[in-house]
Amino acid sequence: MSYWVRLGELWAFREVVKNFVARDLKVRYRRSSLGFLWSLLNPMLQLAVLSTVFSVLLRIEGLALYILAGLVPWSFFATSIEGCSTSLVNAESVLRRQYFPKLVFPLSLVLQNLITLGLSLAALLLLLGWFIDFRPTWAMLAIIPACICVSAFALGLGAVLALVTVYFRDMRHLIGVCVSAWFYLTPVLYPLETRALRAERSAPHHVAADVAREPPGRMSPVPEQLRWYFKLNPMYSMVAMFQRPIYYEMWPTRAETCAAVATSGVVLAAGLFVFWRHEDTLIFAL
Amino acid sequence: MPGSFVTLEQVRLRFRHHTARTRSLKESVLNLLLQRRYGGGISEILALDGIDLHLAEGDRLGVVGDNGAGKSSLLRVIARIYPPTSGRVASRGLLVPLLEIGAWFNMELSGVENILLTGAVMGFSRREMLSRVDAVLDFAELGAFRDTPVKYYSTGMTQRLAFTVATAVEPQILLLDEVFSVGDIRWIERARERMRALIDRSRILVLVSHQLHQIEQYCTRAVWLHAGRIVGAGAPGEIVEAYRKGLSPVSGAEPASVAAI
Repeated sequence: MSYWVRLGELWAFREVVKNFVARDLKVRYRRSSLGFLWSLLNPMLQLAVLSTVFSVLLRIEGLALYILAGLVPWSFFATSIEGCSTSLVNAESVLRRQYFPKLVFPLSLVLQNLITLGLSLAALLLLLGWFIDFRPTWAMLAIIPACICVSAFALGLGAVLALVTVYFRDMRHLIGVCVSAWFYLTPVLYPLETRALRAERSAPHHVAADVAREPPGRMSPVPEQLRWYFKLNPMYSMVAMFQRPIYYEMWPTRAETCAAVATSGVVLAAGLFVFWRHEDTLIFAL
Repeated sequence: MPGSFVTLEQVRLRFRHHTARTRSLKESVLNLLLQRRYGGGISEILALDGIDLHLAEGDRLGVVGDNGAGKSSLLRVIARIYPPTSGRVASRGLLVPLLEIGAWFNMELSGVENILLTGAVMGFSRREMLSRVDAVLDFAELGAFRDTPVKYYSTGMTQRLAFTVATAVEPQILLLDEVFSVGDIRWIERARERMRALIDRSRILVLVSHQLHQIEQYCTRAVWLHAGRIVGAGAPGEIVEAYRKGLSPVSGAEPASVAAI
């Protein structure tokens, strides 16, 4: 089957994808009295914890918001690929009863997490307005392509991990470890850059905001000469696409945008290529 | 509306224990690793060997054969669950495979939600399924439990619901394995009735069964499958008779010893 045919078939199964996404969201919030509100509450509570830890205990101002700006997309990415990796194995009983384009399973997982990401971002922006004197900037629009990039990246990688896990069941244990290592290599808890960033910042804002958002770059734990390597991490540019507009109130730099778009495109295309080559025969390995 | 059909041309299906077929370098590398893990042994089973079959609108095909003859594999190949190792499989029309007992329901969701979900997965729109929810719950005698999560259902209740939803649809091509049935004695006669109605509604039927009278009752054609090959094809009465006696019209003596069991 050509890749166009497979894509068309996936479209024909859109109702199924929609139903799987709805089911997973429903199940996730079933029997919790606040339901969907948890998606909004979660980042708020996280911010409260982070602010307490950093400003009260460690006396580092401003870092909490910085961390959250990176943590929200990171959690999306991590839960997506971890969920994807077991999605086919978990679907075994359905797959033995009926034909599916197999991409339905990783795809519904990513979409489901994307909805949660949207809610978390909304909560985050609300918080910004509340705690810090904040006015929406045009740069905020960068969040939309940022979401598309990180989703495409997660789907490409997740599809391959789903496939590999069918053949090597131990992968699921390995993936957890790798994701947490990857997390520390990505500048989420710490900034990668120093003061240089401030000069790049867009329209000068009022001073209060400037002080509040003093770039935490001065305490970047990564030595200057190693930073270049950190930027090779594809998640660096993905996360930066969110940190720039949310924390720094600026557009992502051209290099970051290009890197994010290119990596996500390549990873998605390569992921689908590998996945589609093997999807027909993976049923024999389930 | 063009007619539905099922066509199989020279279909072969080979199972390799735990590994997929080697087709590329990349896959070979994977297989190399796999073989090491599984001790290098690959057992091969030829489940289907050169099957030719054409079914048109109105055909009701019965499949007889011993255990392991490839009957379930045949259904799965038609349903596209298994891709054939070689040969061609094509079909047109909404295909509903009823192959295994038991539901893959989501235990956290309620009866109604599971009905809608199952319908969607089988290819029916939400609106179509919504109009059937009440009838399904009534038939399964679960009207009082419509909003109860399925995890609180008894085994019998879950089975009844699974059976009723699966048989509530309008398939054009129905693939039916006899193991797909329900155990609740009190209920079984009604279930049988419902199954008959479903068979009548479908345009093409492929029925796999050891209950030879079912084949004679429902089918207009029959094939005898032995070791992955069609060893007899014809009218249901004829084929069932031959299978009972252990004779094949095509390759006489060979299957006899097996069928004698």
